[in-house]
Amino acid sequence: MNKEEIITITKSFLSDEFEINSNKIISENNFHQTLDLDSLDYVDLVVVIEENFGFKPTSDDFKTIISFNDFYDLVDKKLK
Amino acid sequence: MMIKQNEIEQFIPQRKPFIMIDELSKADEKGFISKFNIRDNNIFLKNNIVSESALVENIAQTCAAGFGYINSMKENEEPKLGFIGAVSKLTVNKKAKIHSSLTTEVQILNTFDNIHLIEGTVFEKNQKLVSCQMKIVIA
Repeated sequence: MNKEEIITITKSFLSDEFEINSNKIISENNFHQTLDLDSLDYVDLVVVIEENFGFKPTSDDFKTIISFNDFYDLVDKKLK
Repeated sequence: MMIKQNEIEQFIPQRKPFIMIDELSKADEKGFISKFNIRDNNIFLKNNIVSESALVENIAQTCAAGFGYINSMKENEEPKLGFIGAVSKLTVNKKAKIHSSLTTEVQILNTFDNIHLIEGTVFEKNQKLVSCQMKIVIA
C-alpha cells in the first residue's frame, strides 16, 4: 500500500467514525485536535485502525503522532 | 461456576438491593457470562416488568464481576474498579418480566490501555432481550 492509498483510506474511515468533514483531514493539521479526541475515543480509533490496516497501535504509537502526516508515516512504517 | 451468589459482593461495588447478577459462570480474556433471576423484590420492577436501564446495569455488573475476577487471579495486584465510560449501540428487543432467568454474555471487543470496549447481550431462553456496547474504564 502506498502513501496515497493510506491517506485515502484514512480520510474515509476517520470522517465516518468521528463525523468530521474529510476536507479537515489535512496532512499538516493536528491529528488529536482535528478529531477532537477524548481518552475514550482512542479505543474506537484502535478498532478502526485495526479493521482498516490490520495492526493494533499502542499508546506509545499515539505519543509519536502530532499531525496527520505523522499518522500516515506510522501506518506506512507498520505495514512494511 | 466462577463466582457464586454469596461471593458476588466481593467483586462488584454495588450492594443490595442494586445487585443485578446472581453468579458469574465464565470469565476469561475473551469475555464473561453471568446469570440472574428476576425475583419478586427486584427494585427495578414496575408492573412486573424490569426496565431496560436495569438490563444495561446487568451488563455493566457482569463486566465488573468479570474484570474483578480476572484481576483477583493476578498476584500482587491491588483490586481495581470498573467504571462505565460510554454506552452505545443500545438495542432493546424485548423487556424482561418478573421471574425471568437471564443469561448475560459479554464479549471483549478491544482494549486500549485501561479502556475496554465490550459488547453485552442479555438473553432469556436464547431470546435476545437487550444488547449494547460499553466502554469500561478500569482504574
